[in-house]
Amino acid sequence: MNGQVPFGVADYFWEEARNRQRLLDRLMETFRAWGYGDVIPPMFEFDANLSAQYDERLRSDMYRFLDRDGSTLSLRPEFTTSVARLVGARLHDWPMPQRFCYGGSVFRYLEPQAGQQREFWQAGGELIGAPTPAADAEILALTAASLQVADLTDYRLILGHIGYYRSLLQALALSQEQSQRLQYALNRKSEPLLADFLRDTPLRTGQRQAVETLPHLVGGDIESILSQAERHIQNSGMHGALQNLRCIVEALAGYEILGKLIIDLAEIRNLGYYTGISFEALTPGLGTAVGSGGRYDDLVGHFGPPQPAVGVALGVDLLLLARNRQQADDASAGPGHSLPALALAQGSDAAMAEVRMLRAAGLPVQLDVNGWSVDSALDYAAQTGIRDVLQWDNGFLHHRSDDNGGFALLGPLDKGRLSHAPTPHTEEPRP
Amino acid sequence: MSQPISATIRDPAEILEPSRSPAGQTPTVQSLLFALPKGRLAHDSLTFLERAGLSVPTDTASRKLVLPAADGSIGFVMAKPRDVPTYVEHGAADLGICGLDVVRETDRAVYEPLLLPFGHCRLCLAGPTDRSPAQVDETVDLPELGSTAASSSPEMTGTPLRYMSQPRIATEFPRLTRQFFTDRGVNAEIIALGGSVELGPILGLADLIVDIVKTGETLRLNGLVEIRTILQSQAVLLVNRTSYQLKATAINRIIERMRRLTT
Repeated sequence: MNGQVPFGVADYFWEEARNRQRLLDRLMETFRAWGYGDVIPPMFEFDANLSAQYDERLRSDMYRFLDRDGSTLSLRPEFTTSVARLVGARLHDWPMPQRFCYGGSVFRYLEPQAGQQREFWQAGGELIGAPTPAADAEILALTAASLQVADLTDYRLILGHIGYYRSLLQALALSQEQSQRLQYALNRKSEPLLADFLRDTPLRTGQRQAVETLPHLVGGDIESILSQAERHIQNSGMHGALQNLRCIVEALAGYEILGKLIIDLAEIRNLGYYTGISFEALTPGLGTAVGSGGRYDDLVGHFGPPQPAVGVALGVDLLLLARNRQQADDASAGPGHSLPALALAQGSDAAMAEVRMLRAAGLPVQLDVNGWSVDSALDYAAQTGIRDVLQWDNGFLHHRSDDNGGFALLGPLDKGRLSHAPTPHTEEPRP
Repeated sequence: MSQPISATIRDPAEILEPSRSPAGQTPTVQSLLFALPKGRLAHDSLTFLERAGLSVPTDTASRKLVLPAADGSIGFVMAKPRDVPTYVEHGAADLGICGLDVVRETDRAVYEPLLLPFGHCRLCLAGPTDRSPAQVDETVDLPELGSTAASSSPEMTGTPLRYMSQPRIATEFPRLTRQFFTDRGVNAEIIALGGSVELGPILGLADLIVDIVKTGETLRLNGLVEIRTILQSQAVLLVNRTSYQLKATAINRIIERMRRLTT
C-alpha cells in the first residue's frame, strides 16, 4: 500500500509522540497517587460482552471481526466495560472498594477530526464497590486533578443526573415514540421541538411544567437550580436524584472545585450504562468534551455479583489539543525539548564508561556507531537539531551549537552545560 | 461579555485554528463568533440580527471572511451554508444561522434552541409531470424527529412510493433522501449533485429529484411536480455545545433577544 496508513489512524513521532506519552504518564501517576492501581485489559474481547452494554450509537461505532473459531470479537471502544467484567467475573470476592486506572488505545469508527482519530488514547479511573456520594465526589475531583495535570486551568465540569430524567419519563408514562421525541428535543436544546412535543402530548399540568422547566435547569448556581428542580418533582425517583446530587455537592466541598461545576439536568445524551450522575469536562476552544464519566451501578452485575461503581475516562489527544489551544496565547509555551547529546567514543573503553555515567545521571546520550569524524558528526547534529556533540580525547570535549546552528568548542565537558542538563522546569531526575 | 474581542480582522485560518493565533491575545472566553450563511439567507439573517438588537457588521459587501460588528462586540464569519453546522460543532464559531434542511442533512452535534422567522421553504420529492406517482397528502413527522418517521400513512390512490423498484433520485440532500426512502423500505439509488438537480429527470440521469422548493416555479418550468414533502424548513439558530455552557451569559442574552421576535 505504498507506505500509507488506513484512514483514521496516525503516526505520532518526535515532539508530538513524546508529549503524548508524557501526558499519559503524568495522568497515570496522578491516578496512582490517588490510590488507583494499574489494569491492562485486552485490546479485543468477545463482542457479546462489550456490545450488550452500549447504546446504539456506540455499538454501531465498534470495530468487529471474526476469530478463527467463528466467534465475533471487537476492539475495545472504551475501558470501563472491560474493567467491570474483570471485577465482576474474577475479583468479585476481593475486598471493596477497588480502584483501577488505565491508559491506552481505544477504537471507534468515527469521522476523524482534530484530536479524534479512529484509534485514540483514553486514560481513566474506575472506583468500584462504593455507592456513596463521597465516591462520586472523588471521581469528579479526580477528573479536575487530571485536567490540572494536563495544564488545563480553564475548564468546567457539566454535571447531570440520569435519575432525574428517567424518573420523570416514568411519571409521564410516554410511548416509545413520544419519549424519543422528547429526548431529541432535549439533546438539541430545541425550544420549538419541545413546544411541538408538549402540543402533541396530553400531560397533567404538573408534568407539563416539569418538562417545560427541564431545559432551564442549567447553570453554575447549583443551589438555585436544585431548588428550582425540587418544585417539579413527580415521584420518589426524581426526589432521590436531587437528594443524591445535593449530597455529592456537599461531599465536593473539601475539594475546592465547586466553582468549576455547572449543573445540567437536561444533559441526557450519556444514556448508555449510566445509572446516577453523569458528567462531561469542557474547555474553551474545543467543541467536544475532553473527558466524561458517571455512575454505572448495573454494569458489574452483568458479569458477576452486582457492585455499584463510578468512573471517568479522558481523551488524551483531546487534552493535548485543548492545552495547545489554551497555550497558543501563552508566550511561555516553552522551547522544544533538547535532543540527546551525540558522543564520539572512538572505541575507547574509558569513553564508554563516561557515557554510562552520564546516562545513569539521567542525561540522554546517543553513541556514534558510524565511526564518524568530528565534522561528519557536527553535520548530522546540525541537520537533526542535536545541540551537544561530545568528542573523546582522553576526556570528552564539548561542542555546543549556538542559536544560529553553528557549533563552538566549549572545552572539556562540564555536565551542567549540556543543553538537557536539569533546569527547574524539566522533570529529569537530578544527577 | 466583560471583554469584547479585539475588532481587528483576523485571518480566517486563525479563526479555524486558534492554536495559531498570535501570542499575547486573551483567551477567547468572552468573545463570540457568529457564523452566518452566505447567499439566500444572508440578507434575512443580518436584518433579523439587527431587529434583535445585535450590532451587525456595516460593511457586508466586503470580501473579507471575518467581519467585526459595528461596535466590535461580536465577530461574524460569512460561510457557505453547508459549513455553518460544521463550524459550530467544532467550536470554530460559537453561534450560527442556517436552514433546518442543512442542519438535518449535515447531522452535526449542535444545539438548536430557536427556529427563526425567515427562510421558509420545503424539501420536496418531485418528478416529471407525466410519470410521477399520484400526488398524495402524506404529511410526515420528519421535522420533529429527523429520525424514524413511522407514519404508516394510508397509501391511497395512485402509486405508493414503496411500489417503486430502485428509483434513481438526484439531490443535493443525499442523507435525508436516503433516510426518507429507507423508512419506506425502498432501496433508492441516490445521485448526489452539487446543484441544478432539476436537470436530472430532463437528461435521463434520474427518475425523481429531492430539492428545496420555495414557490414551485422552478419545478413547473422544468415540467416537474411535487410528489411528497420531506421536510418543512426555515432558519435555525445553532449554538456550540461547549460555548453554550462556558459562555452562557452572553449566549443566553442573545437567545433571549431573538426569542422575543420568534414568539
